Amino acid sequence: MDFRINDEQRQMRETAREFFEDREVLERARERIDGEAVVDDLWADLSEMDYPALTIPLEYNGLGDDVLYLSLLLEEAGRVALPAPLPETLAFGAFVLDELGTDDQKEEFLPAIADGEQRLSFALYESGQESLPRDIQLAAAPTDEGYRLDGTKTLVPFGKQVDTIVVAARTGSGTGMDGISLFLVDAERVDSEPQDTLDRTRPTTKLHFDDFTVDESALLGTEGEAGSVLQEAMDRYTVATCAMTVGAASRAVEMSSEYGSQREQFDKPIGQFQAVKHRIADMWMATQAARSLTYYAAWALENDEEDAARAVSEAKLFCSEQLTQVFADDIHNHGGMGFTSEHDGHIYFKQAKAWETFLGTPTEHLDRIADSHDL
Amino acid sequence: MDFEYTEDQERFRQELREWLRENLPDGWQAGERPGTDDPEESVEFLLDWQRTLHEGGWAGLHWPEEYGGADASLLEQVIYSQETARVDAPARINAVGIDFVGPTLMELGTDEQKERFLPKILSGEELWCQGYSEPDAGSDLASLSLSADRNGDEFLLNGQKVWTSYAHVADWCFLLTRTDESGPKHHGITVFLVDMDQEEIQTEPIHQITDETDFNEVFFDDAVAREEHIVGEIDEGWEVAMTLSAFEHSMSDVFSIDQRWRSLVEFCEEHERDGKPLAEHTHVRRELARLHTRIQAGKLTHYRNVSKQMETGVPGPEGSMDKVFNNQTEKKLENFARRLLGANNALWTDGPDDGQWVTDLLMPYGKMIAGGTKDVQRNIIAERVLGLPKDD
Ligand SMILES: Cc1cc2nc3c(=O)[nH]c(=O)nc-3n(C[C@H](O)[C@H](O)[C@H](O)COP(=O)(O)OP(=O)(O)OC[C@H]3O[C@@H](n4cnc5c(N)ncnc54)[C@H](O)[C@@H]3O)c2cc1C
Ligand SMILES: Cc1cc2nc3c(=O)[nH]c(=O)nc-3n(C[C@H](O)[C@H](O)[C@H](O)COP(=O)(O)OP(=O)(O)OC[C@H]3O[C@@H](n4cnc5c(N)ncnc54)[C@H](O)[C@@H]3O)c2cc1C
Repeated sequence: MDFRINDEQRQMRETAREFFEDREVLERARERIDGEAVVDDLWADLSEMDYPALTIPLEYNGLGDDVLYLSLLLEEAGRVALPAPLPETLAFGAFVLDELGTDDQKEEFLPAIADGEQRLSFALYESGQESLPRDIQLAAAPTDEGYRLDGTKTLVPFGKQVDTIVVAARTGSGTGMDGISLFLVDAERVDSEPQDTLDRTRPTTKLHFDDFTVDESALLGTEGEAGSVLQEAMDRYTVATCAMTVGAASRAVEMSSEYGSQREQFDKPIGQFQAVKHRIADMWMATQAARSLTYYAAWALENDEEDAARAVSEAKLFCSEQLTQVFADDIHNHGGMGFTSEHDGHIYFKQAKAWETFLGTPTEHLDRIADSHDL
Repeated sequence: MDFEYTEDQERFRQELREWLRENLPDGWQAGERPGTDDPEESVEFLLDWQRTLHEGGWAGLHWPEEYGGADASLLEQVIYSQETARVDAPARINAVGIDFVGPTLMELGTDEQKERFLPKILSGEELWCQGYSEPDAGSDLASLSLSADRNGDEFLLNGQKVWTSYAHVADWCFLLTRTDESGPKHHGITVFLVDMDQEEIQTEPIHQITDETDFNEVFFDDAVAREEHIVGEIDEGWEVAMTLSAFEHSMSDVFSIDQRWRSLVEFCEEHERDGKPLAEHTHVRRELARLHTRIQAGKLTHYRNVSKQMETGVPGPEGSMDKVFNNQTEKKLENFARRLLGANNALWTDGPDDGQWVTDLLMPYGKMIAGGTKDVQRNIIAERVLGLPKDD
């Protein structure tokens, strides 16, 4: 057992940090909030660094790295609120393709992702559904050439900025994760509607499927049997978002520490008042704890550990319950400045709030943890 | 990054398990912890356990072989903590000697001191206490005033210590004294190893809120300390004191918390409310899950700190997080456990578990003060890890 990050991982993180700073990615997140189209340019930059190739298998022109490595990169991405669908494309899209895709599908998509020519997202949630997307209703009925999709999806991350969307639908009857099929849908073909969301760095889209047909090659894996892979993809994506949140929280702790050392009131730096100093120490502890849980979850997923699902839920629960408080405290530590859009704190806070209940509310993760202990 | 244990480490674990199976005191194997109300008997019992550990070669696991230890790696120590917590082994009565005083002497003691003291610390033949706090020197330890005045090649000690755990049974004390009052307060402190068996040293028990009397007031009235028992240099004892504190802060309770959580789960499986086990009530399940998440976070962070220490060789200020975070977890756990008892929560020794939960509930409130309060630990984190300005 060794919980150290190895030299190669450390090197990658340093390079990533420099790169994200050099390309002023946080500035571009702000532009994204103002409604600018930044994703194409940003993706070209990311591709220059081979980041979209990171977890693509070697035989498809990828770099063959694991989800732990990806998480370390995403921690850096979280520090600058990367406004691009990297976790969606890799942790979710490329993963389901690799697990369920036919040789043809893999040939078509995986090298294209690695080369930066394909971005992916997923459509899970449906209107009126606040919770884990288990209760998928969108119907996929077999036709002569393929399938006909009917229904509406909501909260599709970067729905308008990606090339292909993995759509979860129900084929035939079944409840929960039984009878779920996944389809690769060309984003341009779908009738989509942008949504205004709390976290404008990562826009979401509503998709309307109305007598929408796809041919047979759009189906991923065996009809009705995508449930367990979908669950694992959600877990991987969840860990990816935890990693980004942890990166953002580290940045929030740094900002509070810097401001606390600098800003003077009552003739001394506010960081000398223990009300502020101790709050920042608490923020740091929560961030460290969340980081430990996230690294472990990534490692457990990668190694198919027995407790992987629980580890994911623990990381997610802790990020949801404790790190949103870290972002709130950062705003408070900055006084009036903290409430302005100029200060970066709100960007992280809103993102964490948006993710707090995404892919499982804290209550649902608590239940999953309890189940895993046979309680 | 890797959480797998190596084959050697697993073999070490098996060996230890085997040994514990054969050597745990009667009745302790089954998870029962038969105790005694008699303080003297209890000390005898713990001393016996210390001797058993020593004979088995487990007493000074982390000590180098040249001092009679097993030279175990940090990870083997982690495994040791996991396994002894798992079977709820008796406490190590000479922890102050083995974990703090011994390693400090190895680093800073003279050859004569090492030869004279280390073997008896390890065997449990001589018990140690830590004489730091005074009535006017708690968090602000450097303002201590117990005086040590030269008298030939001896020093005369006058003044008082307080909260000294196990001073009433200790043979030796790692004592902080004032030898120079003229300079800044961190200067002029000297560390002595002091023989507690003198009439000029009197201990008065202090009653803890747990009903136990583990700590004491200690009065020094012309007690004698010898020059050869000074650790480090005269007047330069602050560095020595901090070396010992670094060893003290790097201790973690996280594995015993995990064990307590398991006992709580058992309790919830065995006790019913409204016709079904507590463990099947939604709010109980969820709270147990939330607590476990915190325990896991503390444990994994401890592993990260240990991994870091393997690289740097010394425990860092991260130990303060281990202490504060896990202590808070412990409080949350005990709190929840108590609420499960309902109105019976008001009972102590008449309670359903002979009062064990009440005592357990109270202990964390002392642990958060001992060895530096949580406020002081948060100052350490803010100033040394995050670079925030120092307190005035
Ligand atoms: C929505 C909004 C509307 C406002 N409207 C008005 C208005 O109409 N008119 C007006 O005059 N002002 C207004 N303000 C300003 C407001 O009064 C100040 O922001 C507030 O008094 C804090 O001052 P500051 O922003 O300089 O923060 P600072 O004083 O710099 O505080 C920064 C951080 O340090 C902490 N801190 C500072 N000193 C201490 C201390 N001694 N002990 C412990 N902690 C300390 C604070 O709690 C805070 O967390 C408004 C602010 C907001 C957010
Ligand atoms: C169970 C137990 C066992 C102990 N065993 C030993 C032992 O074996 N040997 C030994 O020498 N001592 C021992 N102690 C003493 C312990 O080290 C001291 O109690 C501790 O350092 C606090 O000192 P104090 O009690 O004087 O409290 P004070 O220092 O007076 O603190 C009172 C309160 O003020 C706060 N405070 C003080 N200074 C600051 C500051 N700068 N910033 C913010 N808050 C501050 C503290 O956090 C605390 O809440 C033990 C204590 C306990 C509870």
